[in-house]
Amino acid sequence: MTFPFPASDLLVILPELVLTQLALGILLWATVVRKGREATLAWVSIASLAAAAVLIPVAARLSGPLPRAAFGGMLTLDRFSIFFKVLVLLATAVTILFSLKFVGTSSYPGGEYYALLLFSAVGMLFMASGTHLVSIYIALELMALSQYVLAGYFKRETKSVEAAAKYFVLGAFSSGVLLYGISLVYGAAGSLDLGDVARSLAATPRSSLLGVGIVLTASGMLFKIASAPFHVWAPDVYEGAPTPISAFFSVGPKLAAYAIFARIFFVGFGPRAGDWAPVLAASAALTMVVGNVGALLQQNVKRMLGYSSIGHAGYALLGLLAYASGTDARGENFGLWAILIYLAAYLLMTLGAFGLVVLLEAKGYATESVDDFNGLSKKNPLAAAAMLVFLLSLAGIPPTAGFVGKYFLFSAAMKAGWPSLALLAVLMSAVSLFYYFRIARAMYLVEGEGELRWREEPAVAAAVAVCVAGTLLLGILPQPFVALAKSCLLP
Amino acid sequence: MPTTPFSPLGADLLSTLVFLPAVGALVLLFVPDGARKTIQGIGLLFSGATFAVSVLALLRFNPDLVGSEAFRSLMVDRPWIPRFGIRYLLAVDGLSLSLVLLTTLLTLSVLLVACGQKIDRFKGYVAAFLVLETGMLGSLVALDMILFYVFWEVMLIPMYFIIGIWGGKRRIYATMKFVLFTLAGSLLMFVAILFAANVNAQATGIQTFSLLDWVPAALGGAWGLTPRSEALLFWAFALAFLVKVPLWPLHTWLPDAHVEAPTGGSVILAGVLLKLGTYGLLRFALPLFPNATARYTPFIAVLALIGIVYGAWVAAAQKDMKKLVAYSSVSHLALVVLGIFAVNATAVSGAVVQMVGHGLTTGLLFMLVGVLYDRRHTREMADYGGVASQVPVTTTLFLIATLGSIGLPGLNGFVGEFLILGGVFKVSVLWCAVAATGMVLSAIYLLTLVQKVFWGPSTVAANRGLTDMNGWELAGALPLIAFVVILGVYPAPLLNLVKNSVESIVQVARVRMLP
Amino acid sequence: MDVSLALFWAFAAVAVAGAVGVIVMRQPVHSALFLLLTFLAVAVLFVVAHAEFVAAVQVLVYAGGIMVLFLYTIMLVNVRRQAGEPYLHRQAGVALGVGLLLLAVVGGVVLGDARRLADAHAAAPAARLTEVVGSGVAAGNSQAVGWLLYREYLLPFEIASVLLLVAMIGAVVLGKRTMEKFD
Repeated sequence: MTFPFPASDLLVILPELVLTQLALGILLWATVVRKGREATLAWVSIASLAAAAVLIPVAARLSGPLPRAAFGGMLTLDRFSIFFKVLVLLATAVTILFSLKFVGTSSYPGGEYYALLLFSAVGMLFMASGTHLVSIYIALELMALSQYVLAGYFKRETKSVEAAAKYFVLGAFSSGVLLYGISLVYGAAGSLDLGDVARSLAATPRSSLLGVGIVLTASGMLFKIASAPFHVWAPDVYEGAPTPISAFFSVGPKLAAYAIFARIFFVGFGPRAGDWAPVLAASAALTMVVGNVGALLQQNVKRMLGYSSIGHAGYALLGLLAYASGTDARGENFGLWAILIYLAAYLLMTLGAFGLVVLLEAKGYATESVDDFNGLSKKNPLAAAAMLVFLLSLAGIPPTAGFVGKYFLFSAAMKAGWPSLALLAVLMSAVSLFYYFRIARAMYLVEGEGELRWREEPAVAAAVAVCVAGTLLLGILPQPFVALAKSCLLP
Repeated sequence: MPTTPFSPLGADLLSTLVFLPAVGALVLLFVPDGARKTIQGIGLLFSGATFAVSVLALLRFNPDLVGSEAFRSLMVDRPWIPRFGIRYLLAVDGLSLSLVLLTTLLTLSVLLVACGQKIDRFKGYVAAFLVLETGMLGSLVALDMILFYVFWEVMLIPMYFIIGIWGGKRRIYATMKFVLFTLAGSLLMFVAILFAANVNAQATGIQTFSLLDWVPAALGGAWGLTPRSEALLFWAFALAFLVKVPLWPLHTWLPDAHVEAPTGGSVILAGVLLKLGTYGLLRFALPLFPNATARYTPFIAVLALIGIVYGAWVAAAQKDMKKLVAYSSVSHLALVVLGIFAVNATAVSGAVVQMVGHGLTTGLLFMLVGVLYDRRHTREMADYGGVASQVPVTTTLFLIATLGSIGLPGLNGFVGEFLILGGVFKVSVLWCAVAATGMVLSAIYLLTLVQKVFWGPSTVAANRGLTDMNGWELAGALPLIAFVVILGVYPAPLLNLVKNSVESIVQVARVRMLP
Repeated sequence: MDVSLALFWAFAAVAVAGAVGVIVMRQPVHSALFLLLTFLAVAVLFVVAHAEFVAAVQVLVYAGGIMVLFLYTIMLVNVRRQAGEPYLHRQAGVALGVGLLLLAVVGGVVLGDARRLADAHAAAPAARLTEVVGSGVAAGNSQAVGWLLYREYLLPFEIASVLLLVAMIGAVVLGKRTMEKFD
């Protein structure tokens, strides 16, 4: 039997192939590396991610003009997927940097930890380019399974185990819902290929079977991006998981989930946009309120960031909604464009904020409270200033990346005829300022008691510095990036 | 769009004006905390240079140009996010230029005074004021709505720290209240900006945020707004500005913020930030939404009248000097709002003159209260009494500022109040009468303040060793006093400067008001 | 009503009853046996749907391999009857309500629409089979599965292999008694 596809299809997945091989290599190598020398493994993992990133343009160049479908339509390599692949690799690499000391000083083995992160990245890379519901689903599971293990990796910590168990049970349940939704869509559309699904939907009359299928698929997706009413897992998991992993969860998987959410709903269910938009609108409104109001009540920084990331997922849903109203007079899809810009901004500011939580050595496991930031501005003015930039950006205050992202999202919602949601989003931004400023208050206005414990980690500090620079650059001179994002839209 | 080379003192003068203070703050980052002399030098150098640049802008500006032509003389127009029609558009007319001068002068004064007082974390203090100055100047000269919004929010952060770090006992409460009130208003405005841009894009087919494009479109009826959406947009803008002013009943953050803020913070807050509210009304709310302005004028006028009397009444009951001055601001600014909503040339020019005048006199009052507070750490009137003999210079300056604030002829407050009342009289005699009572009350409470603090027997032993203003403080206060007197005796240059911008705003806003 | 439909309903009911049994029983062994019942009933459903190969896999892998592992584990760790308060008892009513509601909605829709769609695509599976395997080859069920799995679905199949590897690593990492390596 011969290989059923053109050999050049393998070039399309070159980064994924290489990353998988390297992850396997790291797993094997880890068996002979002593505890205490595992930093090498981390650096090799980062190098592997970098190699994958470098191979993306190579793959794009060698495999033919973009968009390039491969494996009989299972995957498509296009600029949209490349955008997400780069972000996802970046998020994973930064997570490994954050983990260096965290894992190094623990009694848990590093090899499997880094390998699992890499496997998770492989899953996300496949998600970014999946154009067939089966390949998307399997890639999603690959990512999710790695995460379930990572959430409970520090298994002697009760909170970590609890987080992992909760994440696993709810995650598996949501996967079941997603799968059931996909099966109903298959029943109605007769295909799982997103292009075929769209053609079939455009040709057949509305059916309630399809409606339920789409709603169930949406529910599964909403779970993955932690949107209400499927958000309850997020704060607990963020609090319980090791901090670097919380940082990872709030960025990498969310980005990948947004990629498939956008692709499934734009490419596959696009012809039914008018039907699913109200469902997403309701979820967006609820998510923004639940996330931001929930964050108000938190004392634990990780929980607060967890709730705030729920709120951000709600804002980003506005972009998906904006798609439903179709293209504007210039034939542009403002909604997706806004999502891309916002997610990039979100990546920078969230990773940066988590980086500082990592640096601010906690008193114990998962007890990072807002009070830990007391008096930071006196003891480490640079770190406080960096955190301030991230907080302002998260709250959407100019001149930061967060403002630019929100500007695009809200004006997309406005253009698409959802002014009431844009208004709600703005009100919730005001609410969010209240809790973000609690940290600013602790850093600048409150005197710290006793010694502030601070980790000296140049690698993390450098990552944070890059995030600060990116957040400000994107906020002050967004034009080049806006143009780049424009070229990465789905057709 | 071809990009011309950057010429800091030529075509890009306004960019220099706006960003010079921010550059100063950046430079301060590299100065060690303890080097107080260097920090002072840098702060004064940059704020002084900014003042010089603003004077240069005044010399370059041609006040005879009318309408949107007025903006052309110093305009900076570069693409910023061209894909969305967002421009880096800076320009001034007489209205904004007068406030720009007030801002640069007050910031310089505040830093001079700060040099003569003991302030911890001095570097941060100076840097915060420099960043704040960039935000204020940017808000005054930006004509692209998004750029304006960016600067508007940039002001918030340094003020948050100024009150929160260097403030009094309840500073954290006060600063949060300040931030939340202002932010709630400005976010509403943000939605309104997006909505209006959308309306404009649909009506004209051009995606733009430039006020110079919006006003003609809105005025020519091209926007085609329904009365309901125009009213909503108007209120979204007006609320953002009225919170800042602050108009009764949105004023509750102001006394807290003022009382807790350090001296410099109070000066800038009263002197400039409040004026940005009235400036916003004049620049954006009135010209863009003339119908809604006409419709809601009676309502806002009634609020303003309540504010005038209420502010004066509450001020009269205060024992805390700063609170008294803060409530007097509520009253005086309500008068300015009343003048603006009278929408005639006399009242609006009066309002602009009064904005400048109030900035100078109230700035001075806060500064001088700050001088006393620096020595005695109390603001209760009862803790003073008869200190005139210990601090003759402070007393003299305080008296001049008070008389200016009351509106004594020959000092600047008189010109503004007189013009406002004259203009309001043309609209409604009743309004004028109520507003005038506010003026009478202000004379009562401010003179009582002077009497209780400076005259009379010296009863409190702790005041024996009170020292008078030092050189730095004097250097900060004297220029303000000079302007209070000059603009009172000879207000013509200021009136001339703002005349044409006021005319065009009034014309634009009245087009729709006439039946 | 034809025979296959009757069979479907009967075994679907058994499968659901078995699933309910798994979560209701207090003895782990009983739960495991109910799970076995569900697996077997589902296998019958596959047969009814003419997916004989999948049915065989279901019996061999799930009812055979996985069940045996479960039972071994239960015997080895000697799990007793669950003691104490029933877990999440207060939420049971709500959960039941929401579940029934969901069942009513989804069930109603599926019953209403699925029949119509099934009639419309009645000939589809057979046609698909010929399309996949090619006209020249004798169309067998397992052969069709093989063709699909190793040709059309090659990529998901390969990703699934990585997925299983991750599952294995996860099981080892979380299951190992001591985490200290070498020293």
